[in-house]
Amino acid sequence: MKRQVPLFITFFVGTLLILSVFIPPMENLGENFTLFFDIIAVFAFFLGGGNLLRVHFKKLSKKKRDWQYSIVTICGFFFMLAAGLFKIGNPGDIASSVTAEGSLFQTIYTNMFVPLGSTMYALLGFFVASASYRAFRAKNREATILLIAAFIILLGRTPFGTMLTVWIPDSMSIAQIPNLAIWIMNSFNLAGQRAILIGIGLGVVSMSLRLILGVERTYLGDDSA
Amino acid sequence: MEHFALWLAAFLTLGIISFLYKDNPWYKLSEAIFVGVSAGYWVVILFWDNFYGKFWLNKGDDPTLWVGAILGLLMILRLAPKIGWISRWPLAFIVGATGGLWLMNYFSSNIMVQVQATILPLFSTGFGTGFDASFGQIIGNLVIFVGTFTGLVYFFFSKEHTGAFGKTARVGIFFIMITFGASFGYTVMSRMSLLIGRIDFLLGDWLGLIK
Amino acid sequence: MTSLIASDHKYDDGDKIDLAWVPSIDDLPRDGLVTAYKIYRITNDGAPVEIAELTPGANSFRDEDRELDSTYSYYVATMSDGPTVESNRTAPMQTEREWLNLDRKFMFLVALILGGAIIYFIETARRGKKLFVRRIAGLEAVDEAIGRATEMGRPILFIPGIHDMDDVQTLAAITILGRVAGQVAEYETKIRMPVARSLVMTAARETIKAAYQTAGHPDAYSDEMVNYVTDEQFGYVAAVDGIMVREKPATVFLLGAFFAESLILAETGNSIGAIQIAGTARPAQLPFFIAACDFTLIGEELFAASAYLSGEPKQLGSLKGQDVGKMIAMIVILIGVLAVTLGDGWGIQVMADLANTLKMIFSGS
Repeated sequence: MKRQVPLFITFFVGTLLILSVFIPPMENLGENFTLFFDIIAVFAFFLGGGNLLRVHFKKLSKKKRDWQYSIVTICGFFFMLAAGLFKIGNPGDIASSVTAEGSLFQTIYTNMFVPLGSTMYALLGFFVASASYRAFRAKNREATILLIAAFIILLGRTPFGTMLTVWIPDSMSIAQIPNLAIWIMNSFNLAGQRAILIGIGLGVVSMSLRLILGVERTYLGDDSA
Repeated sequence: MEHFALWLAAFLTLGIISFLYKDNPWYKLSEAIFVGVSAGYWVVILFWDNFYGKFWLNKGDDPTLWVGAILGLLMILRLAPKIGWISRWPLAFIVGATGGLWLMNYFSSNIMVQVQATILPLFSTGFGTGFDASFGQIIGNLVIFVGTFTGLVYFFFSKEHTGAFGKTARVGIFFIMITFGASFGYTVMSRMSLLIGRIDFLLGDWLGLIK
Repeated sequence: MTSLIASDHKYDDGDKIDLAWVPSIDDLPRDGLVTAYKIYRITNDGAPVEIAELTPGANSFRDEDRELDSTYSYYVATMSDGPTVESNRTAPMQTEREWLNLDRKFMFLVALILGGAIIYFIETARRGKKLFVRRIAGLEAVDEAIGRATEMGRPILFIPGIHDMDDVQTLAAITILGRVAGQVAEYETKIRMPVARSLVMTAARETIKAAYQTAGHPDAYSDEMVNYVTDEQFGYVAAVDGIMVREKPATVFLLGAFFAESLILAETGNSIGAIQIAGTARPAQLPFFIAACDFTLIGEELFAASAYLSGEPKQLGSLKGQDVGKMIAMIVILIGVLAVTLGDGWGIQVMADLANTLKMIFSGS
């Protein structure tokens, strides 16, 4: 019962959605599922959010290392929650959009959430440099190929690349770096991309079948539990 | 107020950047704020958009939405030790639906469409009239054909990469590495511009050193 | 404009009507007199209702969300600075519902062959036939990576990407987690798994718990192994980066759906000297994993991983089935390229027809 019912549900729902592609009256099933999923996700947040709070309250009460920061996390969470659920400072009443301009929720979003997120994202600038450096030092053939391709494409996207090969006559325009970069993108890159995409397609089909048929069932936990 | 907001944003920006030097209290504080505020942000968005917007407002018109809500409630039963196992039902539902949906989507977009797009002529009277254009196209098509074909050989699981088969697979990995290099090179500039954007904020908006 | 034709859309739920017309002779790409086409619908002999306004040059429209038991008639008004000209009214019509989408018959057939091959090899292997599967370096390394963490007395960090359970990549990550957790339980190593989605947390706990039970160490399991951080992409990354530098895991798994954060996580993991095994089906992120991780599962290998690690014959059988898919793709590409080359380059009609047939079969819709 604990295992058979879920296996049946997976099989039934999966098969139905596969068939829906071929049966016009069932075509909207996929959209319905997405909607159901969005609703389930809200309920599931009780588990996730609850866990977040539990972890930090526990850290706080046991005075574990760095417990002070848990206070900040808990306060930040409830502060944002209150601002958004009660729509504090929203122009208009409770029916107005939660992200309305001027609301406390939106103000925190713009001045805390956004700078934090975009700075974290911007760290990539540094990391891309350090990763390139490492690739540069790698001595194997694959890494060298990767690096040469990366270098040509990078040059092709900068004015420097244009400058470098502007002297090449138009009859040999393919050898000009920006053109060469475009050509590599549309041939070599596309070829590799295709092989990867077809592989992924086959992987997804096989993985999904294993799940739907119940061959793969690790996610369902143990019989005895 | 505006001044405070600007200083706050700058304070948090520097806090995150300080991580590059090493882990430190400033980063830990910024991280703690980020985690708390963003988790709060998403629960609010989930509540208003998904629960209120998609379910509450429409449940009258579309009673099937209750299926989602009931599955969601079953999910929460996890908190009850005795009947926690029922939460596997919604999980099974999600896994089955995800499998079914993705199977057909990827079958069509990744297998069928990609195979079709690779059926390209290696020579054609229809190519451009100029020698250059047609030559470039022929070589381009040839590269796509060989690259896709050998790339697929690389992914074969049931045959050892030895002999002629192994050599073909190595040609395949050669193409795949060029692909990775190309997308690496393609992304570097945009990542750098993100960084420049943050420096611009610090030096321009905050300190007013550049305009 | 002339000759407005309304027809039932084929292979739908009886909810669409296609309109087509010949544009007005005054509708020219440059300096044309037509300013717009307005489409009117008459439902059950009622009053005409304007349903759309299209830009000049338009010659078709699809009216959606119609109902089966109503009759519909249409006309199109050609708008210009001068007088408005109305087209003929189409005869009242009803929509039809089809139960099978015959446009997709070839898609069904190819899917059946591929799915059939996978199921056939799963069954063959289940019955005991030995199937060969080659070594996959990234997966051979899993055992060693877990062993290393055990020796060093440091935890293993498992990051299942930032997407929810409605992404097959996350499902692949969870199934791999099942195998990894089984070994972790045996070695009595510590596993640490911060996640960005509540549902992933639930599924991961079930999975690890089961693995510990199977390994005979149910008491060693604790819910604290998996914890939810935040749904926010970079908030999650900030927290995981913090965990990496503070807890210094010996081994990091980055498996699932990754976006811009791939390199931030992989570089931080690299800086603490962890062995990193990464894998994703997002081609744009693969180069970053290749550059910063010790082993990378490329696309299909990510989905093959749990089957491979399980070592179960029936799971390995499915990989053999995938190879049949690759074989079909390669044969079709080979024949297609030959046919289209002979057809286009040397004008051999039979070959051109063959190429077109293959393209039609593999149109994907």
